[in-house]
Amino acid sequence: MHQGDHNWRGYVFVAPATIYLGLFAFFPMLFAAWMALHRWHLLKENHEFIGLGNFLALAQDPFFRNAIANTLVYVAASVPLGVITSLAVALLVAQPLRGVGLFRTLFYIPAVASQVAISMVWIWILLPEVGLLNSALSWVGFDGSRNYLAEPGWAMAALVAMSLWIGLGPRMVIFLAGLQNIPEQLYEAAAIDGATGWQRFRHITLPMLAPTTLFVVVTTTIAAFQLFTPVYMMTRGGPRRTTDVVLYHIYREAWQKFEVGTASAMSYVLFAMILLVALVQFRIMRRSMQEGAAA
Amino acid sequence: MSRPWRTILVYAALVTIAVTTVIPLVWMVFTSLHPPMAQIPTMRTLFTPDGWHFENYHYVLTFGELPIARFALNSFIVTTGVVLFQLTLCSLAAFAFSRLNWRGRDTLFFVFLLTMMIPGQVLVVPLFTFVQKLGWLDTYWGLIVPYAYLSTAFGTFLLRQFFNSIPRSLDEAARLDGCSDWGIFWHVILPSSKPALATLAAFGFIWTWTDFYWAMLATSSTEMRTLEVGLSVFKDAYGGMRWPLQMTAAVIVLTPVLIVFLAMQRFFVRGMVLSGLKG
Amino acid sequence: MPTAATGSHRPVLATLVVIFFALPAVGCREDAEEGVKVLRVANWGGVQVDSEFMRLERKIREEFEQLHPGVRVRFEQIPGPGQYAPKLLMMHVTGSVPDVVHLDASSAAVFIDNGVLRDLSPFIERDADFDLEGYFENVTRIAARGDRLYAIPLDFTPMVMYYNKKLFDAAGVPYPRPGWTWDEFLETARKLTVFPEGARAPTQYGFNFENQPPLWMMWIWNNGGDLLDPEGRRATGYFDSPESIAAVQFLVDLMTKHRVAPHLTESAAAGLDLFRAGLAAMDLKGHWMIIDYRADQMNFGVVGLPTNLPRRVTVVYEAGLAVTAHAKHPDLGWEYIKFMTSKGVQVRRVASGLAISGNRAAAAEFAGNPVEDAFLAEVEYARPPWGAKVERFPFIEDLVREMLEDILYSHGKLPVSKAMHETAKLIDAALAH
Repeated sequence: MHQGDHNWRGYVFVAPATIYLGLFAFFPMLFAAWMALHRWHLLKENHEFIGLGNFLALAQDPFFRNAIANTLVYVAASVPLGVITSLAVALLVAQPLRGVGLFRTLFYIPAVASQVAISMVWIWILLPEVGLLNSALSWVGFDGSRNYLAEPGWAMAALVAMSLWIGLGPRMVIFLAGLQNIPEQLYEAAAIDGATGWQRFRHITLPMLAPTTLFVVVTTTIAAFQLFTPVYMMTRGGPRRTTDVVLYHIYREAWQKFEVGTASAMSYVLFAMILLVALVQFRIMRRSMQEGAAA
Repeated sequence: MSRPWRTILVYAALVTIAVTTVIPLVWMVFTSLHPPMAQIPTMRTLFTPDGWHFENYHYVLTFGELPIARFALNSFIVTTGVVLFQLTLCSLAAFAFSRLNWRGRDTLFFVFLLTMMIPGQVLVVPLFTFVQKLGWLDTYWGLIVPYAYLSTAFGTFLLRQFFNSIPRSLDEAARLDGCSDWGIFWHVILPSSKPALATLAAFGFIWTWTDFYWAMLATSSTEMRTLEVGLSVFKDAYGGMRWPLQMTAAVIVLTPVLIVFLAMQRFFVRGMVLSGLKG
Repeated sequence: MPTAATGSHRPVLATLVVIFFALPAVGCREDAEEGVKVLRVANWGGVQVDSEFMRLERKIREEFEQLHPGVRVRFEQIPGPGQYAPKLLMMHVTGSVPDVVHLDASSAAVFIDNGVLRDLSPFIERDADFDLEGYFENVTRIAARGDRLYAIPLDFTPMVMYYNKKLFDAAGVPYPRPGWTWDEFLETARKLTVFPEGARAPTQYGFNFENQPPLWMMWIWNNGGDLLDPEGRRATGYFDSPESIAAVQFLVDLMTKHRVAPHLTESAAAGLDLFRAGLAAMDLKGHWMIIDYRADQMNFGVVGLPTNLPRRVTVVYEAGLAVTAHAKHPDLGWEYIKFMTSKGVQVRRVASGLAISGNRAAAAEFAGNPVEDAFLAEVEYARPPWGAKVERFPFIEDLVREMLEDILYSHGKLPVSKAMHETAKLIDAALAH
């Protein structure tokens, strides 16, 4: 390790952010935890302490379990696909080719528009017969009559596709920043040693990108667990509750029933899930980073 | 694979992706020029509406005496404030997590990450109460300060990962020259982190500029509204009416972000970073 | 040596930091000047997107200010679909609620029954200038609880059946008349449905169906059924009564058996209004659509809903004005309400055709027009929506909407009666809390 085992200056540097988070993140989080232990209606006066009662009720609630299942499906599909596609595109765009800057900008644009506008555009894309996707499909001879958002299973697929499209830009940009940090000499040295492009990728790029990759994977996962706006704007949890994800479920509980106690409990269940997954990801990546460093 | 073929393939892939990226945006822009009462344009009608209604933009920009200029100013102030705030807090904290050793470091880092994991919806009630008690509702403070909460963890995380990948040999060289921790932060780490800082600034800008929810909650009076909220009068959840005008409003909100993003492009350009020890 | 180019950045950074800290002090909300009373009025944002209308409303507010020197009206719009009630309630809980609020009938219950609003009857009694009789009784009743009244109607609309005269003429079908039965409705719809040989779906529908419970709940009423018991406490026994089940079955049959209305997978429910596009001959909507139909230059007519009862039923959706319980200026709020609901102001407000004025005299100004008269005729048959009485109603509506989705997507496998029994139980559970 480095010298200075206990550098008190660390506390000074980290203090502003910590105090800030303490006030504006932790305090609300703790309050929400407190609400989760009560039967708490936003407007009614008496808040009955029920301990883990909300959590027990949730465990038995088939609709909540359905929401969790939907969320897991979405995460399992969108995260790997999203990370891989954006890494691939970043590699493409990192080439010293002409006009590459233009492509970079274009790819980033979807992330820049508001989610509400994007949702509307995608409603159009997915319309049966006249939407972009169906028009293109029938143009090449496939069936263009499917109403994607109205069919169980397809609606979720559409949401996954949308997430890839929106998230491509930001993820690509982060990978680019990471790629730029890999010193040229490493590649040059490897080329002198006779390494092929693929070998250079596997043994230099990937390991050097590991911290960045970890970041992208973890943040994409956390965001995927918190999918909300497209569901709210486009599917409202349907069709047949196949896109009812946990955050949408929480929204209905909090803002249609005003049961902030139950909603807080749901939030903590979601939180626990995210935490678990993130921990696992950290563990895996750290192990492979250590192995990679040894290589 | 020979050079020319490779280049062609790369370009082909890029163009394909670019096309899929751009088409929806093309749709947004074209739809914004359709007759205001028109229904949702189809592929056939997208390029052949009943006349091109450039006056839609004038209509939205001068709508009902909404102070569009003021909205834009508010958005700009809030967004700049958030970005500066964020860059300051996050880079300091990330330095502490990446370069310094102190008890509880890794634990605290993970605790930071925790704040990203709890959905904001439920935190809104306590946060709103807190901000109201501070007297910050309907003020710039109330818009700037609470915003940063999500991006603080994100930003710290991003910068820490990035700082981690800056070779420590640079630190050591600086230390040999007599730099303190602060010196290393200011003279070594920050200059080497331009891409990451720019990325963070860009993210912060975009998120804050296009945010609707907190901006709506934290403001009541028209004068304090941001652009996204101010123009939300054109939105309908079910998309039933007036698609063209909704798109016009969306494009108007989108444009400043695009300009800023284009301007910041230079920071994303591949540069020769850290030719390093030899230098 | 590491590059140390940061010396030149320092001044820039410092300036930015200073500006950042100074700015918020510059742009704070306008402070109350001495002696000026600020009346805060809240409304939801969005649906009526008409520049002229907004300008008109602003002018009206200015007129109020002129009548009451020393008073400023601060109009606070709460935009965002579904955000109005949540934000208002949060403001109530934190003690920062406005003085006057617009109230939407279909979500009024949560405000009225939780002490968010002030009872207006004392104001009414004390005020000799104000005559409650001047407002439509059916509509005023919506915000009443026994002797207490919580809102004065601003404008409203009963739900009616629109029909496209051009399509009717082309098919040689006579226009519907009030009091028509479901059988007559079905016959009419059949004659107006064009389903070519070999086509997958009709090219023209007799009736445009959208799965939004506020738009179809009335069918249940018109068959003698209901969603809940009269007290609004439970659904079992009412939602799953034979009459209710038969009503929903009728609707489902329209889409699956008779094919006179678009099935959910057929109607691009988000984005394409079949009736406006001339692809459906009838539609069940409210007054606000007139603005769009006129812009489309559609030749349309309006008639009451078809019924199997001796006397037809429809729902009325209303916007009203209320004073909050924690208002800082309740008396001023009352003056504002009186002003906004007075005949003169109302006539100007509803001239755009958005809705019918709650003020009888104002509404009468627009009578004489066959469409307007048809609307006015329906007012006596109109019931308040359940949302005016039942707090959890938005949630229940979602349950009902999902139920119909389930039925339709099951392609016959899920019987209507079974679905409705199960949903009734879910509704009971939601109400029980």
